[in-house]
Order: sequence, then structure tokens, then C-alpha cells
Amino acid sequence: MGELDGRVACITGGTRGIGRAIAEAFVSEGANVVITGRSVDKGKQALDEMQAGDAAHFVAGDVKDRAACEAAIEATVERYGRIDILVPNAGGSADQAPVVDMTDEAMQDALLWNFWHAFWTMRKALSYMIPQQFGRIMLMSSLEGKVGKPAISNYVVAKHAMNGLAKSAAHEVGTMGITVNALCPGGIETDTMKEFGPDAAVSMGLTYQGLLDVFAQESAIKRLNEVEDVALVAVLLASDAGAGITGSLISIDGGTSPY
Amino acid sequence: MNKLEGKVVCVTGGTRSIGRAMADAMLAEGAKVVVNGRDETKGQKCVEEMGGGEDVAFFAGDASKQATVEGLIDFTIDRYGQLDVCCLNSGGVQMTAPVAQMTDDEWALEVDWNLNHVFWGMRRALQHMIPRESGRIIVTSSVEGKMGKPGIPGYTTCKHAVNGLVKAAALEVGTLGITVNALLPGIIETDIVRETGPDSAVAMGLESYDAMISEYTKESAIKRPNTVEQVAAVAVMLARDEARNITGCMFPIDGGTMPY
Repeated sequence: MGELDGRVACITGGTRGIGRAIAEAFVSEGANVVITGRSVDKGKQALDEMQAGDAAHFVAGDVKDRAACEAAIEATVERYGRIDILVPNAGGSADQAPVVDMTDEAMQDALLWNFWHAFWTMRKALSYMIPQQFGRIMLMSSLEGKVGKPAISNYVVAKHAMNGLAKSAAHEVGTMGITVNALCPGGIETDTMKEFGPDAAVSMGLTYQGLLDVFAQESAIKRLNEVEDVALVAVLLASDAGAGITGSLISIDGGTSPY
Repeated sequence: MNKLEGKVVCVTGGTRSIGRAMADAMLAEGAKVVVNGRDETKGQKCVEEMGGGEDVAFFAGDASKQATVEGLIDFTIDRYGQLDVCCLNSGGVQMTAPVAQMTDDEWALEVDWNLNHVFWGMRRALQHMIPRESGRIIVTSSVEGKMGKPGIPGYTTCKHAVNGLVKAAALEVGTLGITVNALLPGIIETDIVRETGPDSAVAMGLESYDAMISEYTKESAIKRPNTVEQVAAVAVMLARDEARNITGCMFPIDGGTMPY
């Protein structure tokens, strides 16, 4: 008997990193999950590795595209008959710079990738969750949704925006059996971090290792967080016991955030 | 059901309400649990009801007293050989009042019960946990740890204070395998809330106990109280080995009440 028996989840960016860890944790608790990603090959690889049989399904799509975001939700409902849990998890940023040098494109891209994707998937998912009077939405925000770091304002802005969206939406659907929270992980060395971290580091005047060291040193644990830390909290929020937690910005950052 | 297999837990105020729910949940996950309460008879009844045989024990005493809090921890280590999870949960008010009418006696009681109890317990537990490089400290705080409410200034002050203590302590022991976290529940209709609520309502300038509960729940998104089981589920999660990287966290279980 798992905590999430019979539940259906959609996790964007679910083939690797935090999204993958959450998908695996949800499956082990009895849920069916749809994971999304841009690469069909990575999607197949993820399903092979997960060995979840019919309990996992992959849908290709780019979260920067509204139609793809909405299609992911529709595909979940079509495949498994409903959607109970949404984790708009995909995210990141590129072309960072200090505000004085930041381009419109870099700011727009971060907002599309993180905030608009969360908004589009949430809006669609709520159209199913509200009539069924049940839902669990967990936005993948970040430590940078609560604090500001120099030279990556596009990422900081997008994550702060997601936090506001979580708070607002939570108060709209609070009496409808739907919770909406933002998870705020600290630094985790996912593939996305490895891919985009070096440029962010340069923008901040650091080496890549220096960037990772900053995350570690600012925490109480003096090391990076891990994808499993986020999955642990995600399972709790998705479970029946999570019904009383909503509109919250939950730090999973080894004691870094000041609030 | 073995998320806490082999762990030893103590819970101040563990015979009823939030503390009891935590004790029950942790026992169900394979832990040994010592519950503390003031009343010996209620304590023994609690142990029987919990049904854990030798895995449950009761330690009598008032958690507003240093000797009780330190004694609970010493008793737990003596009985079960170690302490893994220290739940500093007891707390409340007796005869709260607005600041201008607050008595010295009530203020001193609330500070001892809500703040000093946590310091005494944390210090004693850490003295055991630090050499072992392993442990979990879980403090029951409140939404009043972040928000202000008229009529309960002592409780509000103390819950803000324990939040600070949790943050500071977490930074001290972060590399020693010990996590320190606070639970911030919204209003829950516990025995203590039911017992002291009518007087608290008056102190807050409200018509009735029900009006007080509504005052709290209307600020939430869920428009209803939280439950002891919801708090216990978070406590179990934080107590696990898997939660080793979660520390210094003000964990909300408040139905969306707090603004941050």
C-alpha cells in the first residue's frame, strides 16, 4: 500500500534530475506518472531505466511552448483517465548577465521556461482538478525564489514569480481539495546545473566549482542538496497528509534560506 | 512501515494532541518512544493505548521545568541506550492577556514553557547527539512564530524566538549529521486549545471560542483547522535518515496562513 495508490501525476522535465527523482518516488508509492521532456531518446531511456511498466509514460514536448504544456496535461488525462498531481518541474536559465547588460531575450526566455510553463500547465490542470475537487500542485521554484543573487536576475525573477503564483492560486482553490505549493531547493548538481551552471558562474565572476562551493558554504550542511531530498518532500505533499499544506514556499536547501 | 526502524524518540507533551500524534506515528514506523506529560495517570493510560509494549515509556513531569526536560532526555538515553529524535513539542498559555494586562507570572510561565523548555531540551539532546554525529531535533513552533496576533503576546514572542533558535542551532551542527527544524502548524483543535481557548478568545477581544477558531481559519486558504496527523506526518519525514539535508527549515503545516 503506497501513499499515492491510484493517483496520477504529470511531471515536466521528468526524464532526469529532480523531475526524474520525483517520478520514481511517486511510482514507488503507487502512482501512475507522465514525464515530459524535449528528447524522445532521453524519454525512452528514462522509461527503460525506471522499469515502471504501464505506470510510467513519456510525452515529448518543450515547456516553452504553450500548446506543448497543455498537451502534456491532456495526454496525462487521456492515458490514465485523470490528473491528480502536477509538478511543473522543468526550468533553468541561460545567457545570464548583470541587469545593466541583460538582454530582453534572456529575461523572456527564463520567464517562459520557468514561469509561463508553470502557469500554462497549472491552468490546464486546474480545469480538471477543480471539478474533481482534488489536486496537488508543486511548482519547482528554488532558493533563488526567496533570495537574490547577483548576475542571474532572469532566473531569480522567474522563480520569485512562481512563488507568487503558488500563493495566489492556493487561496483560490483552498476549499476545493487542491493544494498549491512551491518547492525551493538549494543547489543540486543535476544535468541542467552542469549544462548551464558554467555560464551562470562566469556571469557571477566565478568558476563552475566556485559556484557549487558558494551553494555549499551558504548552507548549514556545507554540501549540495540532492534530488532525493526534493522527492521526499514531494511525496509528503502529494499524500493525504499533505492536504493541510498549501500556499507555502518550502525550503529544501540545507538551511540556506533566511525564511 | 519501518521508516524509523531502530530510532529512539522522546516527545515533550507527548500524551495527547500533536505530541501524541507524533508519538503514535513514529512508533508505527518502528521507533521506540518516550512520551512526557504532567499527569501520571494520563501518562500510563497513553502508554497502554499506544500498544507498543516495551517500545513505549512514560516520563512524568512539567515541560516548563528544566529538570523535567533534561530528565526526559536522560531517562530516554538511560532506558533505550540512545536518543535519535528529540521532539520539543509541549507549549501553550495558561491565562494569556494583551501586553498592557499581562502579568509577570503568566509571562514567566509562557517563556519557560514555550522557549526555555526548547533551549533546555535542545542543549541536553545536542550534548548527546554531537559526539554521535547523528540526530534530529524537531521543535513544534506555530504560525505565531511568523505572525502577530493580539491577545497572545507571550506565545507569539516565544514562537518567534524558537524559530530563531532553530535557525542558529541548525547552522552550528549542520556538518555533524544533526538536523534542527521547526514545525509551524496553523490552528488545530487540540485539547489545550479547547481548554484555554475560551479565555484566549476574551483576551483577543472575540465573542467566543468558535469566533476565535474562525479568526484563525479565515486567514488560511483551506478555511478549516489543520490536524494533528498532518503535523505528525511532517515530523516523521524530518526524522528519517533520508531527510539528512533538510535543516533550519520553518516547515509550514498551516493551510496557507503565513505570508512567507
